[in-house]
Amino acid sequence: MKTPPVSTINTVAKKIVGRSDSALTKKSIRDSLVSVAGLIGRPVRDENGRDIGSLVDFVIKHDEATYPAVSGLIVKVGQRTSYIKGAKISSLTHNEIRISSLKINLEDFQRRDGESLLDADVLDHQIVDVDGLRVVRSSDLYLAPIDKEVRLVGVDISFRSFIRRLFPGAISRLPTFDHVVDWATIASLTSGTGVVRTAGQRSKLAQLRPADLADLLEDLAGREQGAFVDLLDPNLAADALEEMEEEDLQGLLRGLPAERAAELLSLMEPDESAEVMRDLDDEHRDAILAQMDKPTAKVLRELISFDEKFAGGIMTTHMLVIKQTDTVETALKLLIAHKERDVVDGVLVVDSKGRLVDHIQTIELVAAKSSALIESLIAAPYPTAVKIDAPLDEVIDEFSNNRGSSIVVVDEKGRPIGRILADDLVDALTDDEGRA
Amino acid sequence: MSDSKEKTGLKIPSPKKIRIAAFLGVMGPGMLAGLSDDDPAGITTYSQLGAHYGYRLMWVLLVSTIALIIFQDLGARIGVVTRQGLLGLVRQKYGARSGILSASALIIANIGTMTAEFAGIAAAGQLFGLSRYISVPIAAVVVSALVLRGSFARVEKVFFALCAVFLAYVIAGFMSHPHWGAAFKGLVLPTMPLNHDAIYLATATLGTTLAPWGLAFIQSYAVDKRLTRDDLKLLRVDVWTGSLLTGVIGFFVIVTCAATLNAHGITNITDASQAAAALKPLAGTLAEDLFAIGLIGAALLAASILPLSTAYSISDLTGRPAALDDSYSEAPLFYSTFGIITVLAASLILIPGAPLITILIVSQIINAVLLLPLLIYMFGISRDKRLMGEFRASNSMSVVYGIIIAIVAVCVGAMLWFTFF
Repeated sequence: MKTPPVSTINTVAKKIVGRSDSALTKKSIRDSLVSVAGLIGRPVRDENGRDIGSLVDFVIKHDEATYPAVSGLIVKVGQRTSYIKGAKISSLTHNEIRISSLKINLEDFQRRDGESLLDADVLDHQIVDVDGLRVVRSSDLYLAPIDKEVRLVGVDISFRSFIRRLFPGAISRLPTFDHVVDWATIASLTSGTGVVRTAGQRSKLAQLRPADLADLLEDLAGREQGAFVDLLDPNLAADALEEMEEEDLQGLLRGLPAERAAELLSLMEPDESAEVMRDLDDEHRDAILAQMDKPTAKVLRELISFDEKFAGGIMTTHMLVIKQTDTVETALKLLIAHKERDVVDGVLVVDSKGRLVDHIQTIELVAAKSSALIESLIAAPYPTAVKIDAPLDEVIDEFSNNRGSSIVVVDEKGRPIGRILADDLVDALTDDEGRA
Repeated sequence: MSDSKEKTGLKIPSPKKIRIAAFLGVMGPGMLAGLSDDDPAGITTYSQLGAHYGYRLMWVLLVSTIALIIFQDLGARIGVVTRQGLLGLVRQKYGARSGILSASALIIANIGTMTAEFAGIAAAGQLFGLSRYISVPIAAVVVSALVLRGSFARVEKVFFALCAVFLAYVIAGFMSHPHWGAAFKGLVLPTMPLNHDAIYLATATLGTTLAPWGLAFIQSYAVDKRLTRDDLKLLRVDVWTGSLLTGVIGFFVIVTCAATLNAHGITNITDASQAAAALKPLAGTLAEDLFAIGLIGAALLAASILPLSTAYSISDLTGRPAALDDSYSEAPLFYSTFGIITVLAASLILIPGAPLITILIVSQIINAVLLLPLLIYMFGISRDKRLMGEFRASNSMSVVYGIIIAIVAVCVGAMLWFTFF
């Protein structure tokens, strides 16, 4: 399940060169970049150059803008920590910040929704480099004036910049331009009260493959994991979760609110959800199931109660069932309605009592006349079926005897209740091999 | 309503894993981090304590063990709750400078300590007539192959097997027929001869028991083992068991040396293999062999954990992936750190005329100096509501942390004083 990361030590900086939409390609912006790490602790002065205090942190506001604006400064004035609105900034250099108005209102700082602190929340914290497909710590952050506001435009993930900060004096404050990565390609995961979200990052993340997202999730720490999942579209997140190692996934679920965990688990393939939930502790599992809608919770409870050593424990309940008296057209419509699920290889046909009669492949349906009755298509080969309590060995035997890609699981009356696909069997067998 | 019906109608089986199996799954961080503190440097210090002062300074070990339990427990909890290693958190909370300085000190100290582990292997090997030019390279290859080529689960099992070697000390302890009454009196009644050697040894005991790399290791290993908050209770059992065993083994080493060496007036030993050799006429060849075997096992265990702890720390600091299950291409920094530390330390031992004593003393001093800020950082992290949430340290626990930090500060201050003045 694990795929190697696309890049290990690639120079993300190189990828950025040539991006036409990047703010960093503009020379004027590159020349005005100011290092956040360098400015922390530097003097904040008024227009006449008189000291007001020293800089503690920058506050940025997250809105739809690709490059979030500095909404305020946290400044230490004497013994007191105060807040100055970002709009008052008149100039920003490597050495100091100047405040424009003569009359400066010092307010007490309070964390607000949608805002984060650059030093306390972002600098040195884990971030996801979306282009490089990896989790890194930010070594420095860069600000530049755009559209009359000071904005966060770049982040530095290089080791060189990290080491640079060790040095005293002016050296530690000079930006190392060649290692700046555009903020738009970074998913930052921490903020005071919520999650850093920008429109650009969301669309970029949506283009990633679930397996790559799973690798990124596995590399993130607890709180950041939760934040990263929040950045993703729920369906994509569910796909990514399916690709994760089971222990990692359990850790991730433990860190999410029950409601969110329930949402994601409902979107995952039921057999995969059941497998993970089987190993959660009872209390936690019940809390999650309580948040799900009743039918989903019922299906999952059933699946969880089956042991993995039996057919019922590894089957998926995703399948399309149709009566033999229905028409081909009905069957095709059903297939189209479920095209996003991995059930489109065909439909199961049942008789009037709901008992399994046949499995008809999609290609047969397409070839048949749409008005034809399903009944007319029933012919050998008939699908292989096992009872819900059939042991794993029997399932393996059936698979190897019939060389099919799936078998049907039926209850004691012969009614289909699930299917075992080849990949479900592979999963069951790899778990059995005992990855302790 | 129908929900409750479902609950009663369909019985969800309680987790299949029985308690013991669950514990075995969680076990590891505490045992390994604890027992690897009983490394050759540790055994040497304990031997010296016993040989020099008999049973009198036993209580220092008790205090050290309590400090070990408390902070290993904290480290494990921080790891599980934040899912990050110690140095990553230090960088995040205390800034790049604190992170880099801690990491640099840790690397230098760890190379020094790693050299000490190989020195222990060399010395113990010589007791069995094995040249260091054979024993040290073999040990380096064995340790690397174990960690780099084995899967996570397999590596851990071998580690546990190594831990069993520590039983040798317990047996040696009984064979030396100690004066149990005096031993327990020394354990609970603190007496402190106010002289240079006693204070130095007491500090060394505290420093070798509560080692910075052990603290860094337990946290990273809990992260790598992907333990979750559900595992915290079992993890606590693991940590307490591991730390207590560390103390118990220290106890038997001191007892052995007190009952034999000290009782016969051999008070001045410089390393653990000397202690082993001195045991021979007093407690028999078997006691000597057991002591030497224990030394080799201890050195191998610590020699596996040390480079691992360093590799975790560097990866944490830089935010690069660090997991024993990763391949080399997934975590190059992690594995190259491991390799460099091992090769460097092994070479230092093999270079004729390398200033070994200086390396050992310097690394011991760096360890002691580094311990204090690391404990303070851990204390700060434990109080951070944003990082720890509901697991934030309570006020009463904070007082306990504070007392231990104060004791360590006094000891480190005293050690530095006696080293430089």
